[in-house]
Amino acid sequence: MTEKIRYKGWFGQTGIYLGKSLRMFLYQNDWKVLPMGAVIAGVVTFVVGSNMFVTQEGTLMGAFALVCVCIWNGFFNSIQVVCREREIVKREHRAGLHMSAYIAAQMIYQLLLCAAQTVVTLAICQVAGVRFPAEGIVTDLGVLDIGITILLITYAADMMALMVSCLVRTTTTAMTVMPFLLIFQLVFSGGFFSLSGFAKKITVLTISRWGLDSICALGRYNELPMVTLWNTLFQFKDITYNGQKPLLQVILSMQEKNQVDDFLLWSGSYNTEAAYVSSLANLLQNWGALLILVIVFAAAAMIALRSIDRDKR
Amino acid sequence: MPIEETITAILRVAVPWLLFSFALWKLFGKLGRLKRWLAWIPGLRYVALGDVADMDQEGWFCGIMDLFFVLSGILSGLPKPALTGDRVSTALSLIFVILYVFLFVYRIRLILRLIELFGLSKWWLLLWFVIDWLPPLLWGLGKKYQPQREIELHDVWEAGTAPAAIPSAAHTARKAYPGLSVELRERTVRDFGKKRYLLKDIDLDIPNGSLVLLLGGSGAGKTTFVNAVIGYEKADATILLNGSNVYEDYDSVKYRIGFVPQKNLVRGNDTVVRTISDAAELRMPASTSGWERRKKVTEVMDQLGLTAGSGGLVSKKSGGQLRRISIAMELVTDPELFVLDEPDSGLDGVMARELFSRLREIADEGKIVIAITHTPDRVIDLFDKVIVLAKDSGRVGRLAFYGSPSEARSFFGRDTMEGIVMSVNREEEGGEGLADEFIERYARLAAAQEAVS
Repeated sequence: MTEKIRYKGWFGQTGIYLGKSLRMFLYQNDWKVLPMGAVIAGVVTFVVGSNMFVTQEGTLMGAFALVCVCIWNGFFNSIQVVCREREIVKREHRAGLHMSAYIAAQMIYQLLLCAAQTVVTLAICQVAGVRFPAEGIVTDLGVLDIGITILLITYAADMMALMVSCLVRTTTTAMTVMPFLLIFQLVFSGGFFSLSGFAKKITVLTISRWGLDSICALGRYNELPMVTLWNTLFQFKDITYNGQKPLLQVILSMQEKNQVDDFLLWSGSYNTEAAYVSSLANLLQNWGALLILVIVFAAAAMIALRSIDRDKR
Repeated sequence: MPIEETITAILRVAVPWLLFSFALWKLFGKLGRLKRWLAWIPGLRYVALGDVADMDQEGWFCGIMDLFFVLSGILSGLPKPALTGDRVSTALSLIFVILYVFLFVYRIRLILRLIELFGLSKWWLLLWFVIDWLPPLLWGLGKKYQPQREIELHDVWEAGTAPAAIPSAAHTARKAYPGLSVELRERTVRDFGKKRYLLKDIDLDIPNGSLVLLLGGSGAGKTTFVNAVIGYEKADATILLNGSNVYEDYDSVKYRIGFVPQKNLVRGNDTVVRTISDAAELRMPASTSGWERRKKVTEVMDQLGLTAGSGGLVSKKSGGQLRRISIAMELVTDPELFVLDEPDSGLDGVMARELFSRLREIADEGKIVIAITHTPDRVIDLFDKVIVLAKDSGRVGRLAFYGSPSEARSFFGRDTMEGIVMSVNREEEGGEGLADEFIERYARLAAAQEAVS
C-alpha cells in the first residue's frame, strides 16, 4: 500500500494567505484605507464631536455618526477583497486550498486592519475634542471600552462585507449591493429613526443597533442632561399670554437660582432608554451580539465560498 | 355584477390574450424547429422566446411574470396593489414597482433581439408596447418577414431530437494503462433547467512521455475538454492517470496535475518570487524541505527566464512574463500531467518556440503534456500526438481525430494544422464545414483499430 502524501495543512495555508494579504496591504495600496478612515472620522467628529458624551442629544448624534464611520470603514475594507480574485481562488481551491484557511487568513488580516483603523479613529476623536468618558464599564479606562466597541462595530461590518464579497461574483455587483446594506444599517439602527413593530424587531439584525447601544451605554446616556426641552422653552420665550411672557419669566427665574443644570438633568431623567443602561450586563450583551454577527457573517462567507467550484467560465 | 358586464370584462382580458397567443403560434412556426404549441402555454412561451433570442435570463423572468399575470387575472383580475398606507401594502407596492421595472427592461431586450433577428427597424418596439399582439401576428403571417439567420435552440424546445446522431469513436478506459486514459461519455450544462451538450463521446489513451497538441476551431470545446480531463469541471467520464481515477481520487490526484488556464490567474499585487514560492509551498508535499523548495523555485525561474526582476510586482510584468509566471507556478510542482491552455499567447515566435521546446523536455521526462495553441504550425515538429475536436451539426464537440501529426495530415488531406482546423470549422466561420464527415470517418477508423487490438 502506498503511503499517503501529506501537503500543507490548514495552519500552514492560513499563514501563506495571511502573508499574501499583508503584502497586499503594502503593494496594493490597502494601507490607504487608514488615511481615508482618518479623513472620514475627522469630518464627522469635527461636526458632532463637541457635544458627544456631554448631552444626551450630542451623545446620540455623535454615537450614530461614529457607528456610521465604523460601518463605512468596515465595508470598504473587504467588500471587494474576495470577488476581485474569485477566479484565482477557484483555481487555488481546485489545487488544494482549504476555503476555511483562506477565510481564516482574511479574518485575521481584516482584524489587524480594523484594529489599526480603531486606533486612528480614536486619535482623530481626541484631536477633534471628543471628551471620552473617564471610566469604562468593562475595563477601568473609558477610552479602552470605546476602542473595543469601535473595533467590534468595524469588524462586524467588515465581516458582513466579506460575506457579500464571497456571495457575489464581480466587484461591480459588490459595489452595487454595498449602498443598500449601508442604508439598511442606518435606517434600522433603532436609535435615530423612530421604529415600531416589525421594523423595530429587525434592528436586532443590524450592527448599527448594537453599536449605538454600546456607545450610548458607555457614554452614560441615561445620566446625561437633555437640552431639547430647554432649547424649546428658549425658542418660545417671547410668547405673550395675557400681556405677560410666562416662559421668559420661568427661564429668568431658573437662571437666577442657578437651576438650569438641574433642569437639564431633570428633563434628561424623563428621556432614558433601557437599551442605553450603563451596566456591565448590557454592554456585554451588546458586544456579544456584535461577536455573534461576526461569527455568522464569517460562517456565511465560508459556506458561500465553498460553492466556488460551480462557477461557470 | 350583471352578466353583460362580466362577459365584457372577460372578453377584454381574453381576446387580447388569445390574439397574442395566436400571433406567437404563427411566429413560432417561422423560428427554426421551435415547438409551436408552446405559444399557448403562459410562461413557457416567453422562455422559448428567450431561447430564440439567446437571452435565457430575460426569457425566464418575462415567463414567470407572464404566468403570474395570467394566474392573477384568473383569480382576481389584473394585479392592483392596494395603496392603503400600511406597511405591507407599501412593501408590496415597492416589490411591484421593482418587478415592473425589470419586466420593462427585459421585455425591451427581448423584443429588440427579435427585431434584430427579423432585420427590422427598431420602431417596431413601440408597436410591441402599444398593441403587443400585432407585431408577432404581422411577422407570423407576412411572408416578407423572415428570420435573417439560423436560430440555435436548446434541444428541449425543439420539435425534433438533435444530438447524438453521429457515431463516435469509443473505448473503455483501462485501469492499467501507463498514461492518461480518457473515456468521456458526455459533458453537459444546464441553462435555466435545460440540458445542453458541450462534448460527447471522446475516448482516447495518451501514453506517458507524450507532447500532445489539442486542435479545434473556436467553440469546439477544447477548454471544456481539458477542464473535464483534469477534473476542474467534471463530466460524465472516466479519466485515469496512471491507474488513478482523476474524479474519484481527486484529493490526491490534483497534486499530480498542472494546469495553466487561458487567463493568467495570478495576483498582481505580489512579487514574482513570492507568487511562485507560495504556489510551491501550497502544492509540494509537506515533507519537502525549505531548501529543496527554494532550489526548485530558483530552478524553474531560471528555466523560464524569470530570475531577473523576480523581486518586482507581478502587475508590472509584460504579457509574456505573466504567461511564464503562470507556467512556473504549475511547473514548480513537477506534475505528471501538464495541461496548458494557449501557453504561447502574448509570446513572440522565438519565445513560443523556446517554451514549447521546454514542454518537449518535460514530456521527455516521462510526463504527459497537453497544449492548446492557435499557432500550431510553428511548433508542430515538437509534438507526438494531435487531438482534433470539432463541433458537429448539433453544435456538440466531438473527437474528429487522434493520432500523430503525420497521420493527421494524411487523414484530413491537409498540409498544415491550421488547414485541418479550417476543414472542420463551420462554413459561416469561414471553414469548410466537413466536421460531421471527419467525425464519422474517424469513428469507423477507431472502431476498426479497436477491433484489431
